[in-house]
Amino acid sequence: VNELRELARDLLAAEKVDVVIGWEDGRRGARPAFVTAADEADRLIFDTRCVHNLATYLNPRRAHLAQFGKVAVVVKGCDAKAVAGLLRESQVSRERLVLIGVRCGGVLEMPDLPEAVALSGETVAPRCFRCDVREPHLVDHLLGDEQPDPPRPPMTIDERIAAIDELPVEQRWQFWVDQFSRCVRCYACRQVCPLCVCERCIADKSQPQWIDTASHPRGNLAWNIVRAIHLAGRCVNCGECERFCPVGIPLSLANRKLQQIVKQRFGYVVSDDPEAPTPIGDYRLDDSQEFIR
Amino acid sequence: MTDPAATGRASIGAPVLLPREQLDGLVADLIAAGVEVGGPTAAGEPQSPAALAAAADAALAGRGGALDYRVVTAGADLALRPGMPRLSLKGLYLPQNEALFSWRQRGAQIEITSAPTAPGPRVVLGAKPCDAAALAIVDQVMNWGYEDALWNGRREATTVFTLACGVEDESCFCTAVGAAPDCTRGADGLLTPVDGGWIVEAASDKGAAVVAAHQSRFGDVSSAQLDEAAAFRRAARQTVAAHLEIDADSVRDWIATHFDDPLLAALGVRCNGCGACASVCPTCHCFDIVEETDGVGHGTRRRCWDTCQTGKFTLHASGHNPRADQNARFRQRLNHKFSIYPLRFGEVLCTGCGRCTRSCHAGQDLVEILSAIDIAARRPEPVAVASAAGGAATAALGGTPDEADEG
Repeated sequence: VNELRELARDLLAAEKVDVVIGWEDGRRGARPAFVTAADEADRLIFDTRCVHNLATYLNPRRAHLAQFGKVAVVVKGCDAKAVAGLLRESQVSRERLVLIGVRCGGVLEMPDLPEAVALSGETVAPRCFRCDVREPHLVDHLLGDEQPDPPRPPMTIDERIAAIDELPVEQRWQFWVDQFSRCVRCYACRQVCPLCVCERCIADKSQPQWIDTASHPRGNLAWNIVRAIHLAGRCVNCGECERFCPVGIPLSLANRKLQQIVKQRFGYVVSDDPEAPTPIGDYRLDDSQEFIR
Repeated sequence: MTDPAATGRASIGAPVLLPREQLDGLVADLIAAGVEVGGPTAAGEPQSPAALAAAADAALAGRGGALDYRVVTAGADLALRPGMPRLSLKGLYLPQNEALFSWRQRGAQIEITSAPTAPGPRVVLGAKPCDAAALAIVDQVMNWGYEDALWNGRREATTVFTLACGVEDESCFCTAVGAAPDCTRGADGLLTPVDGGWIVEAASDKGAAVVAAHQSRFGDVSSAQLDEAAAFRRAARQTVAAHLEIDADSVRDWIATHFDDPLLAALGVRCNGCGACASVCPTCHCFDIVEETDGVGHGTRRRCWDTCQTGKFTLHASGHNPRADQNARFRQRLNHKFSIYPLRFGEVLCTGCGRCTRSCHAGQDLVEILSAIDIAARRPEPVAVASAAGGAATAALGGTPDEADEG
């Protein structure tokens, strides 16, 4: 933490950046912080409560953050993948960014504890298990000591998916229909997603009305399927959509399943390397699918 | 803000006791009489991996299982215990989406079927006092110029008994905005937990009628139980009063005259615009009206919850958006609740339930924000502007898109 505060202080004092986006202690646990003055750098913290993916504040839909010129943002590995996604899709300019990477041993699911606690299988965010980028590469500064492996949750996301995959197709369909039936169509999943970058989301289009606005089964199914498919091969598994979902829809299962399919079909695994070509942005003569060759 | 009606101590008829073992019977009697019964119930098992881990985190923080308001089929399903239902009571009056009418075209004829506006009788047992108080506040806008028959129909058909609250956590601030953990505003009666059951005090003729119709389920209250109830209610008031104290009138006037103040204009910086605050809020009542075609020649007009926290809420057909970013949208939410609504209707559009703070995964904190505005409002101004509040302030806000936020 001292390393982080010192670096933030230096960056702000030397006017290398206008703001450092990190985490601070709020009245209800950790929360995003926007530090604009060197003497406020001591507000910054990093511990197991720092669950928020701050890369979402780099999303160009955040019009009010354009007021800050040059931005430093603190990133865990999963957050760095989201930054790479934004760079890959030309949504943010690397010159505008200073990336402060932190080594991470996993985080809690919720940030609202008065102080940091050691992780256990029960409390660790399930997505952290077998995280492949606990030390982000896409950074200008890398802070912190090496961290232990995140603990194993009682049931991993992959195990949950395997259990659903074993169901007969009718039951699998019913599982998702039931889950989506709770959706209140607040679009929190979209709002918080660092990679939902569309200037005008299809859900907001009314001529024609592709997706019903009402939170009835037809509208909910259409919205949730479109959201998941549009993030296939782009989602970084940061879990913010699921954490923000006010009705607990298991969005991470859908996102992770699509990751599995993308890996299997296209051999692509999302990373924090912005140069790695994506399945949708890449053309190969030896593509396994004939129609595109 | 200190209007005695707001804290509603008036009790109609003598307090009676609902013994714990009579709750099941009372609910059964009501259902047998054709009354729909609703109230707080334990929420279902969480499904998502995140929700499962979050439940463990919540247990670590000493919080109990989640509650939801639902219609029940037995008294045993009611969870008359501490805990704040995740969504407020408003969904029972203004559902997330509902049909206003459906239409069918046959040749040149168009047949319109309106949604029924006279629902059957319903009794809610154990609502949060802050949720019931919100109903009375929202009544004003629902009858402002246009009388909303769906809202009014459900209000008339529903008898609400609140459960005196022992204060949920440090995000509660009902007493700062004119409500109280034991107020009966918007409610027809109050239950106060005591040893052996609940003391029931009717607060309206509707509430008294329910008690009278089921007299055999109620018993006499002992003076020890009355003392216990009074002590419980007094302690809760004291606890919550310590969380926040604001001068709502000064806050109202300060917001009205400081539209571009840096404090107001930069509050949305960490806000994701997810609108969770509005979804869980008992007083947020904005809705959007959509046309759905259900097939060739027939369709439905529906209204759905909407929120000023999304860009689409104010997006003009021209492409211009007067609230271009999250700072503007967050300011609007505060402005509507603590200035625009009080200037028009004489009371704050907030009952201090604290749900917006608890549900914000980005750490927006209304208690902190109101404290900051209250401090700014009490600070002496370099130039006197207090007289500019009132009517002039409404005009200064440019009048109206904001005020027409009813729907």
